[in-house]
Amino acid sequence: MEPRDTLARFIENARAAGFQVTVGEASLSADAGVSEALYGLADSGSVVLAASPQEPRSRSLLPDVHISYLAEDRILPGLRELFELEGTRLPSALAIVTGPSRSSDIEQKVTVGVHGPREEHVVVIPTDHG
Amino acid sequence: MRATTKPGARFRSESRQVLRDRHAQRVLDEATNRLLEGRLAAWETVDDVQSLRDQACEIRRRAISSLDSNLEQFADAVTRVGGTVYFAKTAQEAADRVVDISRAAGATLAAKSKSMLSEEIRLNEALEAAGIRIVETDLGEYILQLAGEPPAHIIVPSIHKTAEDVARLFSEVAKRPVGPDLSELTLTARGLLREVFLEADVGITGVNFAVAETGSICLVTNEGNGRLVSSLPRVHIALMGMERIVPGLADLAVLLQLLGRSATGQTLSAYTTLITGPRRAGEADGPDQLHVVVVDNGRSALRDTEYSEMLHCIRCGACLNVCPVYRKVGGTAYSRVYSGPMGAVLLPLLQGLARAPDLPNASTLCGACADACPVKIPIPDLLLLLRRDLVEQRVTAWPERLAFEIWAAAWSSPLGYRATACAARAALPLARRLAPYLPGLSGRRLPVMPRHSYRDR
Repeated sequence: MEPRDTLARFIENARAAGFQVTVGEASLSADAGVSEALYGLADSGSVVLAASPQEPRSRSLLPDVHISYLAEDRILPGLRELFELEGTRLPSALAIVTGPSRSSDIEQKVTVGVHGPREEHVVVIPTDHG
Repeated sequence: MRATTKPGARFRSESRQVLRDRHAQRVLDEATNRLLEGRLAAWETVDDVQSLRDQACEIRRRAISSLDSNLEQFADAVTRVGGTVYFAKTAQEAADRVVDISRAAGATLAAKSKSMLSEEIRLNEALEAAGIRIVETDLGEYILQLAGEPPAHIIVPSIHKTAEDVARLFSEVAKRPVGPDLSELTLTARGLLREVFLEADVGITGVNFAVAETGSICLVTNEGNGRLVSSLPRVHIALMGMERIVPGLADLAVLLQLLGRSATGQTLSAYTTLITGPRRAGEADGPDQLHVVVVDNGRSALRDTEYSEMLHCIRCGACLNVCPVYRKVGGTAYSRVYSGPMGAVLLPLLQGLARAPDLPNASTLCGACADACPVKIPIPDLLLLLRRDLVEQRVTAWPERLAFEIWAAAWSSPLGYRATACAARAALPLARRLAPYLPGLSGRRLPVMPRHSYRDR
């Protein structure tokens, strides 16, 4: 698949999942948690966050607003490719995040931000296709 | 939980109540339709959902047919990455184990994300008896814990609560008036539960899937409470039904593609977390200890029986939403844990038929559950087998067994068949008049029989 198609599919699915997606730089809000995504998944519009000394779990859990930076060339088609690449070197926690924290537990109406971030942003850093 | 006189009476008495409750009927319709339509739309987005289901079915078969070696491989892998694995034969053993681990950690507060298995082993009671406070963190479960009620749906446990009900419960805990506005309720819950996440010594989760080759456990939640509970407290205890195992990550990828779609119509739930051991050197957060309690509680006995396919279940709840019985009577009629078609099979198998004699019969055998099942469990066939067992084990009352034996004997000869048809024709007008007053017939309309049988015409 062409790289541009993967990007377009990622953006479409990520927006459908409730992410606010921008390509290129975005304005930072001061108290937002900022992560570097290990991968993006085009099929589901997910960002993949791996726990590490540089990437604490709570950074993407506790703040009201969370921003993931995602390099365009790190967008994979889906789970199968993710597990093929990472299967032999899994981090202690690999979070596949698909939109903001949500619940339909009260009267079956969707509410966002019951536990995790209420706003999830993805900033895609374009690859220089030269 | 309501006390019932005898176990067999529970389904009838509870379902009668729900059938009369207009509010319950409306929310059941809404919830089951919403989830059912969501699933159908999400299945459409897969290129070839039937072949994906075939793959998933094969994966589950492989997982269960080599259950012992898969579990052994899983336990070795968890140990290698620094976790501890325990095997619990019974519900009691499992609950005791969790209590022991929590005590050893000096815990006074435990935060829990949704786990049907924890309901099955009555974990909350065990922890509270040991003086450890346990707080449900799934929003629906939290509401029910405050209300002191069991879950009513495996995916949407608080299906029957209104915003006003929730506002009343939250006002009591928050010690201030909380309005029934949805965003206010959400914010209140967020605040109340955030304290719990930060203060809890122990985090307790279920396990959606466990990967044998890597020793990873996979947690799937939409609220993110599974991730919080497994990230912030210093001890993480994961409760795992022994059949949650999958051989490898490639298998997990297939099942995850079906779980979210089948449960809520999502491509993936909002948070899918793969945990491989406790926190590693240099990491700023994550639990210091990871304990995985693998629970049998009647499962291993099903492996080599006609019922082994029930161990393939991935707990998505799709069968509930299509079931004409569940859609009318809801979850509480079945049990405090599992419900719907999967519950009607699983509960008698885990608890014994004598404790759930109504459940195999709480089905029209229409087959909608089998069509909806992402891993293609032939639920109606299993229900029929259970009905056979009901008779063979003499759980069914003797008058009913006797009546069917007489019927079978009569219909095994042409003469007997014709005699019963004549008798039925003669008795029907009276029966039609008496029907409204007869238990089991009230609410039903008996058919009109033609004057002459097809044969005599």
